[in-house]
Amino acid sequence: MHKKKQPKNVAFTIGYHFTRLVMAGVFIYASIDKIIHPDLFAEAVYNYQVLPEYLVNLTALILPWLELTLGACLLINRWMAGASTLAAMLMALFVGMIIFNLARGLDISCGCFSAAPDDDPITVLTLARDILFLIFSLGLAGLVFVKNTCRVGNTHKHFP
Amino acid sequence: MTVSSRTGQHLTDTVRQTIFIILLSMALGAAINLIRPDSIPFVETWSMADKLVTEDGETLAIPLEDAAALFADNAAVFLDARTHAEYAQGHIQGAVNLPWHEVDNYFETVIMTLDPETTTITYCDGEACPLSHDLALFLKDLGFTRVKVLVNGWTLWKEHNLPVTIPSS
Repeated sequence: MHKKKQPKNVAFTIGYHFTRLVMAGVFIYASIDKIIHPDLFAEAVYNYQVLPEYLVNLTALILPWLELTLGACLLINRWMAGASTLAAMLMALFVGMIIFNLARGLDISCGCFSAAPDDDPITVLTLARDILFLIFSLGLAGLVFVKNTCRVGNTHKHFP
Repeated sequence: MTVSSRTGQHLTDTVRQTIFIILLSMALGAAINLIRPDSIPFVETWSMADKLVTEDGETLAIPLEDAAALFADNAAVFLDARTHAEYAQGHIQGAVNLPWHEVDNYFETVIMTLDPETTTITYCDGEACPLSHDLALFLKDLGFTRVKVLVNGWTLWKEHNLPVTIPSS
């Protein structure tokens, strides 16, 4: 009944829960200040100068809740297929936006973990951090895929 | 179940859950914005020029052509609201540096030397840069009567090959 886990499965499980919890923390933490200050976050979104005007406020209102919802899914280990895919898609989008604005030399605030326009200017370090999170998210999405399709170990029932 | 059927199931789950999470977030974002006291409009005008209107309806923004004409006639003072470091890397020829973030430090050396009746044009860099706007409103409060903002001033000025001062090094 109680099979001893293979070392490979242990590493797999640790990798899965580690990336899941890190990205859950990142997304939930990132959403809070933006949810509290939608007006400031709208300004940060506008400053990126990539969206048409009529989408600025809608993005500022919905994006933080998207971060919170998918962060919560990652935290409670539910809807992992969708949440991990969305996390990777969002991180890819953020990395793309940062590269785009670094390349054109726009001096703007990141709006990543704080909504305030004066905080956290985008730099190469911001880019490096987000690329790390992107790698985590892609890794997690890959692990979820393997978990759901290959039945690793005897823990499949935990991953609907 | 075979691996391929599990893969199909995984992809179906991924699409379904992704759509569900997005819809849930849209509903939450919209609902919370409707009930919170400090809500923001769902759609808002974000053009900087439209925001540069004072309470009494005066437009602060000045078109580049007008600013260039005043420059050519030597009829306006240009104030660079960016930091000293940015100013030092290049600025509109003859512009005076008045960094908005340190405006108090420049009160005696810069503001006291300006004539409140002269046309004063503030600028910074970037369509959305708020420094020049904040500085312009501050000067108006101090009694400057002819304050204008050249939106995205530094970039526009350079793009149109108007006279600039850029250190040779």
